[in-house]
Amino acid sequence: MKFRAKIMDAACLNHFTWVSAMIAKLAKTCTLRISPQKLNFILSDKVANGGVSMWCELEQENFFSEFQVEGVSAENKAISLELMLENLSQALKTAWNARALKIKLTNKHSPCLTVSIELLSVSSSSRIVTYDIPVKVIPRKLWKDLQEPTVPVSDVSIYLPVLKTMKSIVEKMKNISNHLIIEANLSGELNLKIETELATHFKDLGNPPSASEDASQDRDPEQMAEVHVDIQKLLQFLAGQQVNPTKAVCNIVSNKTVHFDLLHEDVSLQYFIPAFS
Amino acid sequence: MLKCGMSGSQVKVFGKAIQALSRISDELWLDPSEKGLALRSVNSCRSAYGCVLFSPVFFQHYQWSTSVKVNENDSTTSNLNCKLGMKSILPIFRCLNSLERNVEKCKIFTSSDLCKVVIQFFCRHGIRRTHNVCFQESQPLQVIFEKNMCSNMLIIQPRVLAEAVVLFTSSQEEVTLAVTPLSVCLKSSSDEPMDLTSSVYSEMFVGPDEFDFFQIGADTEITFCFKELKGMLTFSEATHAPIAIHFDFPGKPMALSIDDMLLEANFILATLADEPSRASSPPSLCLSQKQKRSDLMCSTNNNSKTGKNATSKAPGCILRKAAPKRLYPNETQTDIPALENCGSPIMKRVNEDISEVPESSVSNTEEGPGSSYLRQFSCVFFGAVSSDQRQHFNYPFDSLATASDSEEDMNNGSSSTF
Repeated sequence: MKFRAKIMDAACLNHFTWVSAMIAKLAKTCTLRISPQKLNFILSDKVANGGVSMWCELEQENFFSEFQVEGVSAENKAISLELMLENLSQALKTAWNARALKIKLTNKHSPCLTVSIELLSVSSSSRIVTYDIPVKVIPRKLWKDLQEPTVPVSDVSIYLPVLKTMKSIVEKMKNISNHLIIEANLSGELNLKIETELATHFKDLGNPPSASEDASQDRDPEQMAEVHVDIQKLLQFLAGQQVNPTKAVCNIVSNKTVHFDLLHEDVSLQYFIPAFS
Repeated sequence: MLKCGMSGSQVKVFGKAIQALSRISDELWLDPSEKGLALRSVNSCRSAYGCVLFSPVFFQHYQWSTSVKVNENDSTTSNLNCKLGMKSILPIFRCLNSLERNVEKCKIFTSSDLCKVVIQFFCRHGIRRTHNVCFQESQPLQVIFEKNMCSNMLIIQPRVLAEAVVLFTSSQEEVTLAVTPLSVCLKSSSDEPMDLTSSVYSEMFVGPDEFDFFQIGADTEITFCFKELKGMLTFSEATHAPIAIHFDFPGKPMALSIDDMLLEANFILATLADEPSRASSPPSLCLSQKQKRSDLMCSTNNNSKTGKNATSKAPGCILRKAAPKRLYPNETQTDIPALENCGSPIMKRVNEDISEVPESSVSNTEEGPGSSYLRQFSCVFFGAVSSDQRQHFNYPFDSLATASDSEEDMNNGSSSTF
């Protein structure tokens, strides 16, 4: 099992640091899946996570100038590792002004992801900083939990308002209630409601063209699809979004799940929050 | 008896010194003398000592006198033996930036009959803030350490060290400095990573050209407490003066010092000692080590010079480690006999270490983070500051720790006091 990669460009490095910082806000540990074309940060919907799941994907060639991965056998070209995101994000933060960054999988006393950063110090001599981040290799038999989630057929699909606004509203609501109702319809209206009749209404958001033509034709555009979710989980998701994404869609499956599909330039992030049971 | 005054910007430096010393312990000695005002701090397990000496030239005005007590038979002169709690004095010097802006003058004086130190800030707009801090009468401790006799010395700008320090997470308690004549490496001294929750191992190499002065006798690796290094670093950034690091071999204390016209700061930190007989043991730092360390500490405290009952839960103590990972039960048993020899003969043990530790037993930097020997902890020894010259104490530590303020001793160069 081998993995080595290198980032030489400062802009790519900053973007990668930003991605890892954003994911670190969404989860403490997650699975990093490395395959020849892509990198995925995956959180599968276990009970430990409270049922939320996350799938973040990025194309490796948008970031790395060199990228080599070899799985356990010739057919299995991917490696899945479990790591603490805080460690990775902390290590990458040091690299903000680096000349080059190398990541490789090593096995010093236990498997580690070794991040080696070449810094250009103020006195213009280069300095090498190395971090060994402990990781756990996930065996192939558990890979079935790490598949890309199928996007459920949603009742309503709507574009989200500015996430920062949504976040500050949900922040204030969290002091009043534990769970919140998200409802939306096909006329571009989104409501966030909590029990004590406190509601925020967003209008004129627009709905993306629906994949399945039949479903949308049958549905009354004014009819709301709703789902009850835990406020803390919604807040954790919104807190991770510092920058407004290029595209943000919310798909609601009535009383089952809410699925957020974001696109930050070239990084796609999908986040699923189950309904309150 | 002390009376001194300083300006707003001097208050900032003074406050930074107090903040740096607060990382060492919860108690601060205010020790004025003809050399200037010394602030001293020692941690309860005696593994770290800090002293910042402000020369009279630092202050706008500085007056000091000893009080003379006339008894029946003789008269004894005594210094101001003033010990303050950090909890009382630290909040006074909080928000140093705003103090620097608002304070026009600061006066510190002691009240001779009551055990009080008065700190007065004369601020803008005619506001005057007075703090009365009660102190405990206690003779300050002072460490005897000949830093100029160390074979390794590095002088570095604080900014460079600050960049290195950013690497380490606050959860790491100890840091290892590994030097060879060609390079210097600062790395975390954690055990081998066992699982996801263990801390990240980090290391940083700094080339010799980044140092203002670089003198390395031989390859060495010393491990010391990170928290105290950070304290010294923030202080040095305030004074913009380079830091000198004096050290020898593992086990012998190391000194971090700043020498400036107006002040002299010295932080003496104990370093982990390598156990020479364990040179061939498999690499591990484990539960047995924790037991060893805590036993050492308790026995040292029993024989401690000031007779203080320091608890083993001292916050500044290098011996407190997060849950250690146990690997080799055998070592635990064999170490216990070694432990029985500890305690007051700890001093003797250190002497043995000094002669027994050959340079080659120092761990090889190339072996990677995990290989380390079972280490034994050693302590620093102290003498009390006393105006009585050449006062000797009836303690077994006599040969190392003698208190002396006299000029002759300093000129002899046999020991230097801070």
